[in-house]
Amino acid sequence: MITFKLNGQTVQGEEGQYIIHVAEKYGVDIPTLCNHKALEPAGMCRVCTVELFDGRRSRFVTACNYPIWEGMEVTTDSKLAVDGRKLIIEMLLARCPDVPAVQKMAKDYGITELRFKKGDDTCILCGLCTRVCEKMGAKAISLTGRGVDMKVDTPYHLFTDACIGCGACASLCPTGHITLDKINSQHTQLNTQLIPSEYDMGLKGRKPVYVPYAQAVPNTPAIDRDVCVHFKTGGCQICTEFCGVNAIDHTMEDEIVEVEVGSIILAPGFKPFDPSQFDAYGYSKHPNVITSMEMERYLSASGPTAGHLVRPSDHQEPKKVAWFQCVGSRDSNRCDNSYCSSVCCMYAIKEATIAKEHAGDDLDCAIFFMDMRTPGKEFERFYDTAKEKHGVRFVRSRVHTIDPLPNGNELSLRYVTEDGKTIVEEFDMIVLSIGLETPPELVDLANRLDIDLTPGNFAKTESFNPVATSREGIFVCGAFQGPKDIPQSVIDASAAAAAAGEMLTSARNTLTQSKEVIPETNVVGERPKIGVFVCKCGSNIAGVVDVPAVRDYAASLPYVEFVTDSMYSCSQDTQETMAQIIKQKNLNRVVVAACTPKTHEPLFQETLINAGLNKYLFEMTNIRNHDSWVHKNNPEMATEKAKDLVRMAVAKVALMEPLIETELTVNQTAMVIGGGIAGLTTAQSLANQGYETHLIEQNDNLGGQAVNLFHTAQGDNIQEKLSELITSVKKNDNVKVHLNTKLTNVDGFVGSFKSTLTSGDNSEELEHGIAVLATGAAPYTPTEYSYGKNPNILTAIELDRKLIADDPMLSKLDSALFIQCVGSREPERMYCSRVCCTHSIENALELKKRNPDMNVYIVYRDIRTYGEKEYLYREAREKGIIFIRYALDNKPVVTAKDGSITVTVTDHVLGRPMELTVDLVSLATAIVPYRDEKLANFFKVPMNEDGFFIEKHAKLGPSEFATDGTFLCGMAHYPKPIDESIAQAKAAASRAVTLLSQKTIFSSGTIAEVEPMKCAACGVCVSVCPYSAPSFSTEGRFAGKAEINPVLCKGCGLCVASCRSGAIHLKGFDTDQIFSQIFELEKAI
Amino acid sequence: MAENEPKILSFLCNWCSYGAADLAGVSRMEYPPNIRVIRIPCTGRMSPKFILAGLRQGADAVWVSG
Amino acid sequence: MKNLLEHTGLEPGRLHFSWISSAESTKFVDVVTKITDEVKALDPANKKYVKTEPKVD
Repeated sequence: MITFKLNGQTVQGEEGQYIIHVAEKYGVDIPTLCNHKALEPAGMCRVCTVELFDGRRSRFVTACNYPIWEGMEVTTDSKLAVDGRKLIIEMLLARCPDVPAVQKMAKDYGITELRFKKGDDTCILCGLCTRVCEKMGAKAISLTGRGVDMKVDTPYHLFTDACIGCGACASLCPTGHITLDKINSQHTQLNTQLIPSEYDMGLKGRKPVYVPYAQAVPNTPAIDRDVCVHFKTGGCQICTEFCGVNAIDHTMEDEIVEVEVGSIILAPGFKPFDPSQFDAYGYSKHPNVITSMEMERYLSASGPTAGHLVRPSDHQEPKKVAWFQCVGSRDSNRCDNSYCSSVCCMYAIKEATIAKEHAGDDLDCAIFFMDMRTPGKEFERFYDTAKEKHGVRFVRSRVHTIDPLPNGNELSLRYVTEDGKTIVEEFDMIVLSIGLETPPELVDLANRLDIDLTPGNFAKTESFNPVATSREGIFVCGAFQGPKDIPQSVIDASAAAAAAGEMLTSARNTLTQSKEVIPETNVVGERPKIGVFVCKCGSNIAGVVDVPAVRDYAASLPYVEFVTDSMYSCSQDTQETMAQIIKQKNLNRVVVAACTPKTHEPLFQETLINAGLNKYLFEMTNIRNHDSWVHKNNPEMATEKAKDLVRMAVAKVALMEPLIETELTVNQTAMVIGGGIAGLTTAQSLANQGYETHLIEQNDNLGGQAVNLFHTAQGDNIQEKLSELITSVKKNDNVKVHLNTKLTNVDGFVGSFKSTLTSGDNSEELEHGIAVLATGAAPYTPTEYSYGKNPNILTAIELDRKLIADDPMLSKLDSALFIQCVGSREPERMYCSRVCCTHSIENALELKKRNPDMNVYIVYRDIRTYGEKEYLYREAREKGIIFIRYALDNKPVVTAKDGSITVTVTDHVLGRPMELTVDLVSLATAIVPYRDEKLANFFKVPMNEDGFFIEKHAKLGPSEFATDGTFLCGMAHYPKPIDESIAQAKAAASRAVTLLSQKTIFSSGTIAEVEPMKCAACGVCVSVCPYSAPSFSTEGRFAGKAEINPVLCKGCGLCVASCRSGAIHLKGFDTDQIFSQIFELEKAI
Repeated sequence: MAENEPKILSFLCNWCSYGAADLAGVSRMEYPPNIRVIRIPCTGRMSPKFILAGLRQGADAVWVSG
Repeated sequence: MKNLLEHTGLEPGRLHFSWISSAESTKFVDVVTKITDEVKALDPANKKYVKTEPKVD
């Protein structure tokens, strides 16, 4: 160990270290341009010049390559050292006046005027490039020439084979003198390029050692062997010198691991369609024709332009953007994908809305489409808002010609409108809404696994077993099962887990390991030491709120010991850093200013637990949903508001105390409400996984709406399959079916519900740990289209019944007409009923099959045969079924007179009303929820304005409620076909098993507690509590006083507010804690 | 702070209005930045004392929403 | 509560109650906007009535 003085401070370093290393260790900053940790120093740029006193005299040395010795005295900030460095920088600036790195240094050192003659070089001859080139194992360049002629070059300034095109020289060059273009044009024919970032769709470069994206799990970097220089030359290995924990081992080999499993789940996803094979769109030729995936990156805060929308050709803001739908979907002429990709309509609307949000309302967004398909939950409303409120233009047309303008920026489109007019319009950008497809590797995988594929190359499944492949034990979920969006993929995923779980029930818990419990630090009585973490959320917060200002403000608040900001507080690496900081700084209270605690509080609390802190020593304040997102036009006030919110949170958290969570025993019995397909499937799955299940049905038969349905889209006979399902459920010893039974009361909570089941005059109590709501929905009874005025004007379900019964009237028909969207997609029911297009087409085909000469018409608004249901639509057209589109403001008119039915409809091509006399009209009636307020109140679960239950999370929690222990599936969630109902039913079972499989769970810590000494035993709390949590204690010292059952307490605080003696405290929301927030308001005034 | 920018102390129920406020954010709606939110587990937690304290601290108004 | 405030000389416009479900974001925005406008219309000086702390000699 060598001891010496650095700026007067005694410091120590290892033998052989250079001054700069020791200075770095002690936090003394020495500027440098040419020093690199992994390369031998050369002292070439001289910027690291410091003053060295050797005991006798002072002199200049370069800190990067001057070895330390015992007793030396180094000064980095003396006038002499600074003046010396300043002169060097001035000379560098004279040589390279236009280099930003040198300019910045000159500015830092206060150099405003040059005393020397200005040059025009950009190279400072530091030789960093030549040193790194050697390290890479290439040795392609060196410093050539002498004196003033010296420069970095290849031997004889010739193209060289020695260059491996790795670009290390360019990436390290401190001045930007070396560029990839220069390397390509002057030194090598390898055409060196940035490594395209897969995540950013190649719009950005990435490194050979990389993390695919910020939220990747695991968040550990990987080395891309295909581009890493070490695997080409044996050189480099610079990364190993930077890794502080020696985690990098270049000698690792791929290994084959054999795992014994009882079941396999395939979730390999899809590949976005590659439009470069289509000449017509000019994707590979014109920079301003991009894919929707590239658009996602342009709109993303973490994307190549940080969310700033620009056109790629010249990085100017576009004024007009066009989306082309169905690129690589619904197309059997130019590609083989004749299915609908299901997701593109919705994402195009989303992109257009976000683009307008980012670029302002002046941006013109036009979506060119064939049928607008928004059949998902809340999607129709989103479509309507985009159209009516945001002014996104929807053009029903396929663009036939794209002509780039000569300036290389705009593109001229030629298309024909519905009324036959040809329009030529210029756009700045074209976004191709590319579809989803199964890549050839997955087809290979399917072949190797010996599973069947559909015509669209998706894993083949059956309507009644939607996640099982053709091979037993192999399940599938996500887009490999069929093109689908996130909620449907999440449903599939849980369903596949349930399907596998049913097979593996006997093996449950045989391989579990228990988690390491981090001991909790006792902080009671400690002075608060608060850490404040402010999140930028990409640009979601930082784009409006001045995050550094909020952070610095937080630092000024009482008891705050640590503040920082981060790009994404919720990312795994930030979480780890946060836990480390809490430990290092001994923080005992934490505030996170980010998004909503309703979704993210548990995540940060987990971090506290990992850092050994009680998770209630935490307060989260919402500066995104409640601030940056809603005050984007008022950044100043938004920043003020953020400061106020942080101050209030800091005041409150200082008063937080560690809380204990009560342990609950889980009753491992399940209750499923609703005996339709969804309820039956959930009950079957739960029972198969070994749990006693009670299936409650208010009618006297099982089957729900499915008893009226004929065939599924895949042609399965529903009645056959349904009776198989009912039989299997009835036979299952674990299922108890309660017919003619209603739920009349529900007490309790997750783990220990107590429900009253009433059947006629009999009531019984059922204790259960979880509940699944599968109450379904009903068909709309039409008042329109002369329904009821002629026996041959039927609803879709009535036609199904006739098909099931093989009604003789069907054989007498010569013509039939289907009317779509009866009661759906109208102002009073602003949602798409999802199943009706497919249903009508199926029935139309069935009628056509029975009588090929029959005239069959389908009168529709948009045909929404999403996914591979599109084949039915194609088949229908091929078989001569006539599709006539109508507009909402010009609905068809059905007249039933003298036993004949006449339908008048305005054809969109002819623009004239047509009269059709038909033998049968089938009305595709809406699916209407029951809007069961009573049930919603029993379980305290929410409903949306249409009357469907609201799931925990629209995307990530589709089969469960926010209320613990309650789950959701089937049409009570949203209209859906049988296969999707079954998938969601299995998903609900899967989610329920996550609770049922635990013997105990923990209650919340934020509950009320009585301070018996203050309690006057007045009984107000006992009478006001809706959950019957308080009662009078019957024994012990405080007999007669109130006490609160922590398991029953919901933490609402009603008793606290009503307590006249102030004896009840709501932990986590105590009176003093809320007052502390109120008191902080004063400073805001 | 400008005189015409009042401060409104808001007590929002975690399950109802707080959720609505979250949703308003997700939907990127806009509203005046004058409210300061205190999240309470339920409006049952509200006490007249909080309202008086808020006004006493100089809040221009108090809003309680369940 | 409103009566109490009126008694102390505060306008009833300084206290608002509302019920909004978690799905009613539109209503939330409407209510916030309405309250803010209403409060802005009140005389800002009036609130000082309650803010003043009693002076203790």
